[in-house]
Amino acid sequence: MLKMTHLSKVYRTEVVETYALRDFNIDVKEGEFVAVTGPSGSGKTTFLTIAGLLETFTGGEYHLDGVEVSNLNDNARSKIRNEKIGFIFQAFNLIPDLNVFDNIEVPLRYRGMKSAERKQRIMDSLERVGLASRAKHYPAELSGGQQQRVAIARALAGSPRLLLADEPTGNLDTQMARGVMELLEEIHRDGATIVMVTHDPELAARAQRNVHIIDGQVVDLAEEPRFHAVKAGNRE
Amino acid sequence: MNFQVRPILTALRQHKAGTLLIALQIALTLAIVCNALFIIHQRLGNLSASSGVDEANVFVITNMWADMGQSTSQVDAQVRADLIALRQLPAVRDATPASGYPLRGGGWDNFVTMTPEQVKPTTDAAVYTGDEHFIDTLGLNLVAGRNFRPDEVMVMGTQEAVTPPTVIVSKVLADRLFPDGDALGKSFYAMGATPTTIVGIVDPLHRQGVDSWSNGYAGQALIWPLRADDSRGVFYIVRARPGQLADAMREAPKALYAQNRLRIIDSKDGIQDYATIRHKVYDRDRGMAILMGIISVVLLAITAAGIVGLTSFWVGQRRKQIGVRRALGARQRDILAYFLTENFLISVSGTVLGIVLGFAFNLWTVTRFAMDRMSLAYVGAGVLVLVLLGQAATLAPALRASRVSPVEATRSV
Repeated sequence: MLKMTHLSKVYRTEVVETYALRDFNIDVKEGEFVAVTGPSGSGKTTFLTIAGLLETFTGGEYHLDGVEVSNLNDNARSKIRNEKIGFIFQAFNLIPDLNVFDNIEVPLRYRGMKSAERKQRIMDSLERVGLASRAKHYPAELSGGQQQRVAIARALAGSPRLLLADEPTGNLDTQMARGVMELLEEIHRDGATIVMVTHDPELAARAQRNVHIIDGQVVDLAEEPRFHAVKAGNRE
Repeated sequence: MNFQVRPILTALRQHKAGTLLIALQIALTLAIVCNALFIIHQRLGNLSASSGVDEANVFVITNMWADMGQSTSQVDAQVRADLIALRQLPAVRDATPASGYPLRGGGWDNFVTMTPEQVKPTTDAAVYTGDEHFIDTLGLNLVAGRNFRPDEVMVMGTQEAVTPPTVIVSKVLADRLFPDGDALGKSFYAMGATPTTIVGIVDPLHRQGVDSWSNGYAGQALIWPLRADDSRGVFYIVRARPGQLADAMREAPKALYAQNRLRIIDSKDGIQDYATIRHKVYDRDRGMAILMGIISVVLLAITAAGIVGLTSFWVGQRRKQIGVRRALGARQRDILAYFLTENFLISVSGTVLGIVLGFAFNLWTVTRFAMDRMSLAYVGAGVLVLVLLGQAATLAPALRASRVSPVEATRSV
């Protein structure tokens, strides 16, 4: 589903080159739930933005759903983002001027979907996150947990092949975070491929597999005993 | 491109103040600009209005008598002698005395009635006087009837009121008085209780004035066979032979001074060709058109600046939102279309209000200043200009918005 090989991302200024990712390799299979962990500044978010085609990379290869994406133009990248990827952001990123229904409709409109199908998908995804009764509410009228559920509904409405979550519980209290996490697990059980970036070892432990990033590279935890993250596979 | 009218309207409702301000600015600009366009077009139309005169060859001499105490017969004798002298000049085709001339800027006009008892006048007509040479001298187009005979030309002294029994009228006046087209031979009253009978019709013949009063009776004029021998002075209208205008203008005053030196012909504007007369009389129209043009351009520039400012502000304010839209699959052209559609919707709401204000403003000028009713075409042109201006003003900030990277969605505010 998602395969990066010897991928690098370099930020250049006039005087210095900074490697955000260096010789980065990862392979996420279809249907996997992968947690990406690592300290601040390790390159987690850079990995996620490249994985989500939000920015380009400097070197290496990236195959998404079998397509090498490095040479795609902006329109093609937008199309893939719209049709194959669902984003869940830490800050929810709902559009404050639009109500819940209209927020979920945004990616569906960009897909050029007919009104009736849009409505059906929106209501289905709202049912799924338990917020069907809040369709006409504005984001400011919802709690943080509810906003994140709307963001998940927005990500799910387009039936993406890959769900990318950037610290999805980072702005939520424990109880809300638990609810959102349970929702992600449920979505995963239904067959979705999920890549979740998180600081939280407890959340990471609930994923199927953990990938740890340090200094822009994937680190094998089995060979780095000082890191105590647990592989989900071992847990089971 | 993806036009999202309903969500854009929903979003605009969350930004009422900015939206309302720009829509109001567009409305006011449209109201003023379409009226200004109307006035400009009217004034420019005036500049090219036909006078009916052979303007390329005709000039006017303003002749003041140095001795203002002369009797009417003395003045008449001098005028006749002057005319003989002028007509004898090789460069001159014809000449006539006159109390005024088309495009002079103002002059004699009378109310016209169909009966002597009529209290409310039927209309108003500019009054020209001249002898049997008037039609040929001005180069007027006689479309019906005949010219005056020499024996019909009467003499009118200072402050006298003489109504000749015959009159030549402009076609506009003839049609106004006798809409059935049978004006020739018919009579009307334009001074006192003596009727005057139409013997000829010319077309066109402009009035002396170009003011709003004159424009209300545009093209309505009459010519009486009169030598108005005013003891203060007289206009001589002279028609040069083709290509000899300069020679005629140079020789005419010499011929008059040779006749009698007791006269004043101002060296600055005592002799004017029609190019000068037309330029002078339409000076206010030209000035008004320029002023309206400047006001329109300034208003449009201010409106454009307002739109650029507000759109730039909104783009800056919504960078994160734009990034989110891009992350969710919006192409650059979708973002461009979003801002252009947003502006279009604001412009349309502004122009709807502007149309109402524009017509209300025009109605006020019609009732207050007796101006004409504005045609819908000017409003249409104004709407088109405002909508295109709005789109042009939005383009630069919208392009900037379309270049916002999708990675902006992951940045913290």
